[in-house]
Amino acid sequence: MMKQLFKNKLAVVALSILTFLYLIVIFADFIAPYSKNYSDRERAYVPPSQVYTINEYGKISRPYTYNYIREYDPELMQTVYKQDRSHKYRIKLFGRGEKYKFLGLIPTSRHLITAEDGGCLYLLGTDINGRDVFSRLLFGGRISLTIGFLALLVLFPIGLIYGGLSGYFGGVVDTVMMRFAEAVMAIPSFYLLIILAAILPPNMTSTQRLALIVVILALIGWAGFARVVRGMVLSIKTQEFVLAAKTIGAKPFRIIVKHILPQISSYIIVAITLSVPSYILSESGLSFLGLGIQQPDASWGNMLKEAQEFTNILYRPWLLTPGVLIFIAVVSFNIIGDTIRDILDPKKKDT
Amino acid sequence: MKLLKYILKRIFQVIPLLVIVSVISFFIIRLSPVDPLAELKLNPSISQEVLQKETRRLGLDKPIIVQYGLWAGSFIRGDLGITSSGEKVSVKIKERAFNTLILAFCVVFMTWITGIPLGIISAVKQNSAIDRLLMVLASVGMAVPSFFFAILLLIFAVKTGWFPVGGLTSHNFSDLSLWGKITDMAHHLVLPVTVLFTISIAGLQRQMRANMLDVLDSDYVKFARAKGLSEFKIIFKHALRNAINPLITLLGFEFAGLLSGAALTEYVFQYPGLGRLILEAVMKSDINLVMASLMIGSIMLVIGNLIADILLLITDPRIRT
Amino acid sequence: MKRILYFIFILLLIFIFGKSCIKADIPESNTFSSANAEAEQEIDYPKSPRNITINNIDYLQSQAPCGNYGGELISSIIGEGPKTFNPFTATDATSSEMGSIMYDGLFTTNAVTGNIVPKLAKSYEIKGNDYIITLRHGIKWSDGVPITAEDVLFTWNDIVFAGLGNTSVRDMLIINGKLPTLTKLDDYTVKFTLPTQFAPFLRQLTLPIAPKHYFTQKPDWDKNFDTFLSTTTKPEEIVSSGAFRLKEYVAAQRVVFKKNPNYYEINLKRQRLPYLEKLVFLIVGDFNNEILKFEGGELDVIGLKGGTVALYKGKEAKSDYKIYNLGPDTGTMFAAINMNTRKNKDGKFYVDPVKQRWFNDRNFRAAIDYATDRNNMVINVAQGIGIPLFTAESLNSIYLNKNLKGHSKDINLAESYLKKSGFYKDSNGILHDKYGNTVEFNLYTNAGNTEREAVCVMLKQDLEELGMKVNFKPLEFNSLVNKLTNSYDWDLMVMGLTGSPLEPHSGKNVWYSTGSLHLFNQRPAGKPATDKLNFEKELDDIFDIASLKVNFAERKKYYDRYQEIIYNEKPLIYLYSPIRISAIRRKFGNLFPSSLMGLTYNIEEIFVKNTEETK
Repeated sequence: MMKQLFKNKLAVVALSILTFLYLIVIFADFIAPYSKNYSDRERAYVPPSQVYTINEYGKISRPYTYNYIREYDPELMQTVYKQDRSHKYRIKLFGRGEKYKFLGLIPTSRHLITAEDGGCLYLLGTDINGRDVFSRLLFGGRISLTIGFLALLVLFPIGLIYGGLSGYFGGVVDTVMMRFAEAVMAIPSFYLLIILAAILPPNMTSTQRLALIVVILALIGWAGFARVVRGMVLSIKTQEFVLAAKTIGAKPFRIIVKHILPQISSYIIVAITLSVPSYILSESGLSFLGLGIQQPDASWGNMLKEAQEFTNILYRPWLLTPGVLIFIAVVSFNIIGDTIRDILDPKKKDT
Repeated sequence: MKLLKYILKRIFQVIPLLVIVSVISFFIIRLSPVDPLAELKLNPSISQEVLQKETRRLGLDKPIIVQYGLWAGSFIRGDLGITSSGEKVSVKIKERAFNTLILAFCVVFMTWITGIPLGIISAVKQNSAIDRLLMVLASVGMAVPSFFFAILLLIFAVKTGWFPVGGLTSHNFSDLSLWGKITDMAHHLVLPVTVLFTISIAGLQRQMRANMLDVLDSDYVKFARAKGLSEFKIIFKHALRNAINPLITLLGFEFAGLLSGAALTEYVFQYPGLGRLILEAVMKSDINLVMASLMIGSIMLVIGNLIADILLLITDPRIRT
Repeated sequence: MKRILYFIFILLLIFIFGKSCIKADIPESNTFSSANAEAEQEIDYPKSPRNITINNIDYLQSQAPCGNYGGELISSIIGEGPKTFNPFTATDATSSEMGSIMYDGLFTTNAVTGNIVPKLAKSYEIKGNDYIITLRHGIKWSDGVPITAEDVLFTWNDIVFAGLGNTSVRDMLIINGKLPTLTKLDDYTVKFTLPTQFAPFLRQLTLPIAPKHYFTQKPDWDKNFDTFLSTTTKPEEIVSSGAFRLKEYVAAQRVVFKKNPNYYEINLKRQRLPYLEKLVFLIVGDFNNEILKFEGGELDVIGLKGGTVALYKGKEAKSDYKIYNLGPDTGTMFAAINMNTRKNKDGKFYVDPVKQRWFNDRNFRAAIDYATDRNNMVINVAQGIGIPLFTAESLNSIYLNKNLKGHSKDINLAESYLKKSGFYKDSNGILHDKYGNTVEFNLYTNAGNTEREAVCVMLKQDLEELGMKVNFKPLEFNSLVNKLTNSYDWDLMVMGLTGSPLEPHSGKNVWYSTGSLHLFNQRPAGKPATDKLNFEKELDDIFDIASLKVNFAERKKYYDRYQEIIYNEKPLIYLYSPIRISAIRRKFGNLFPSSLMGLTYNIEEIFVKNTEETK
């Protein structure tokens, strides 16, 4: 399968983009010049720092940048940022910055890129609180890119056990269980999502909130998955080798694990790649309504929410970058998912 | 006769389903710590007496089981209750249902009229450059968060002045001629339909492609090819009909799905549809309104499936038993 | 061939990447133009409208310049639109506004002075505790029925005093357990008798007057009062007295009013007002949509905030709109501190006793106050369109205590306050109280409100400078209110309240110890306050006494004192007050914006100029 996947150039591009995204997100602490809560209140909504490699005399120089200074024009009621051209700040690789734990283990204060002491390096500008958008993008990506996988992690066992049991036992058990699953599916999912998100108890830490949002996303998806599993179990159950296993007295659980699970593994792979992007989008939708990941934590969804104001879209385009990243990540996932589905589709093997 | 019996049987099956849906929804909503009177409570000029009156009126002082019983009883009698602001739920839903149906109809019409030909093209030219291109386009369409796409389109409308900024009708709508009314509505519908179309086209196109591939691979198409029929004739005369049949099942889902999927789009475009109504109701925990809309959503889904099944029964003789 | 294409493609990528790395340092030209701002004009307010009698009809004559007839003004309402058209059952601002367009009150507020001036009433006379009110002869409801003392009697006795609909006016007028009485002297004169002097009374007479013949046409009208004039009422059957009457209501889209031909106000040429043919309110969901509609030309008037002000100010000179500064907002934004020390039914404290000690410590509250960086909140969050706020009355209140000057952030002073109460920082910079407990508490605000969330992020950082550990949690609005009014389990909360710039007594619910919005020390409803703090006692007395003083200067002394108490005790720490900036198309004439009443309060006088005048 992997071989076929690598043959498809589009899929390779998508896969490398995703790998890149996941890598920078994993090493966010190191790559980001600032932490996600660092805020520079003298510089809210500053445009991206300009990094120069050719100095004012037209000579090539080591990269440097200028700070922005804030001026308020009472006549126009406008805050204006101007470059403070009196002092250059060099860009340094592996410079010292805020302390953090590399990969959560090794305490260090080295960052990939920083500006000299006193300089500000906002590669993608800052938000309303003067927080570095670039750094928050990386930290926000941690949540946005994992939330889908986490949801699937919760959803799969539920769906497998529920669908498996229902399909295996059949009869009245099956009817009752499937009616319940159908009822869950019949509730319009987006409303169920926001109702559940709205009832989250308020006294939660951000990790708890993230966990519960994951559970909610899973609660909405499990029924569909359980139905598919049941269908597969039903059809596999009648196949000869399972009947044979049954006649030699194999236990039901063993039969399910040994024979049925491998058969649906390919379906699971497709389901993962196709549902992760939909969860990323769901999170952004929830955040748009203020029900997703909350401030001061970052996720691409809640960063995009801030960007959606009219003036921000027109005059602060750097705030739109989370939208671009959501787009790129989702497209990549979709392309990979589609490709894998085509590869796994047995009907296509002869063509 | 057989058909009638089948329909009756299906309707009978639906009832327990709806009961479960209502129980699940009701208890989830009432579990929420959200207070339907919150806005009133924060208004300095509202007195305790007013608040107590409202609490009694909404039945918030009774235990949850009793509340469910009361709700279910009146729902069966066709009384949907009142919203937290005292309006009749049935009136509110009636006001919006028509608008949502128009929107849903336009979107479904557009996706079918473009999705099916594109699906056929992809299937016939499988693995060609155009198939790949369509796949990428479809993925792209699905990948933009709908609310964000909607906002961008609104700004586009403002900057060009080509389209009205949200809503369904202009403020002088009632003074327009019939033709003027139709064009006015159509003008307002362009942008929301574009957003929903972009989101839902991908699914249909992929589905059509898969079905078509299945059919083209079947024995009778191979037989027809062997007979020497032209490829054009095979596709449009034999394959198409069989490939579309399974899509009819999808139609029911799509229609009901639009009710839920269109919520954010309706919200951004300020479209006066059910989606926005429900969204606002959920955010305020307006129990009666949310329950009524969830039930309507579920009923629509079930009816959609029922109609699709019946259509299938009529169009595809093989299923008739 | 394919290889070469790939090669070129990759080369191109490298080139683009390289190009973006190399950037020449050429000074930017200043892209912001600052020359085209228009100077603020002094507004030349016309005299207050006066009474004039023509053919035995007592008209009200507008003293504003005469305008042209016709045209329409398109405004907007944010939210879901009106819930009722009945001004007496309305509990939300939108419904009340719609009601007040259709129904005039006996009096109204002068936009410049804030004084009470006649509207439906012709004049009033105060004799001790008696208010004798004379009505206009010969004026009519929109269906032609005369407006008489019967209607006033009906409104006050049968609706307000009988407790129908929204009872807040009635509740406010219960003075020492007694309601005022209203009697009819003749068809055009009525008399209110108060149990004692009560200053806020006259302002309550701005309440709309209901047409008795229309409200009582059904026998069970009082039982069905809550559903009367619901949004499904046929517009043409609604009888009104205001300048405009309802034309149509389209759910979630718009409310359209048309002019009332029987309106009793005339212009200097003795022609009937209003000038406008139609008044349209588009129902928009949020500010973002509203601003887009204004930009797209679908709206004529809009209230601007934050960054949009700079945007429109910059384009004003070349545009078809004009921007007016209406002064500070009537609402206030503050951080409330939960000083509750009571136990709930199960005998558990609402607030952890350790925290109770902090929150009830004035020095602790003062430390929070002095650590708060209001200036940067104004510049970053309100984007310069605001003023730091230190008083409980809003900055445009006529009762504002101007002696309370406020202060800027002073972290040293804040720390010295903490030291006074025995708080200390450990070697890691974490604050402990004198018993060694770590100072850690929660900060709430309503989720989804970008402005308040940003304020909280800043406040959290300010407090962390003092070594406090602050957990900021935005909550869904309804859950937040539940905490405030029911469960009382919160520590610090950033909230806003709307107030009246004319009548501090309307804030009684907040400041009175048993008030339903006594946020910082909320007591359960219906229970007498036996554990009043000293300053709460004084506040109670002030609100009791001040309402009985009729003389403005005398009253103001009391309200000055109340603001001083709040400023000193700091149960609520006021943050900033946004400035209201409105933009309106230049085609409209007779605009006399006022900080008290806004921009379109004189809707009957506003008209559409001829095209050449606009330029």
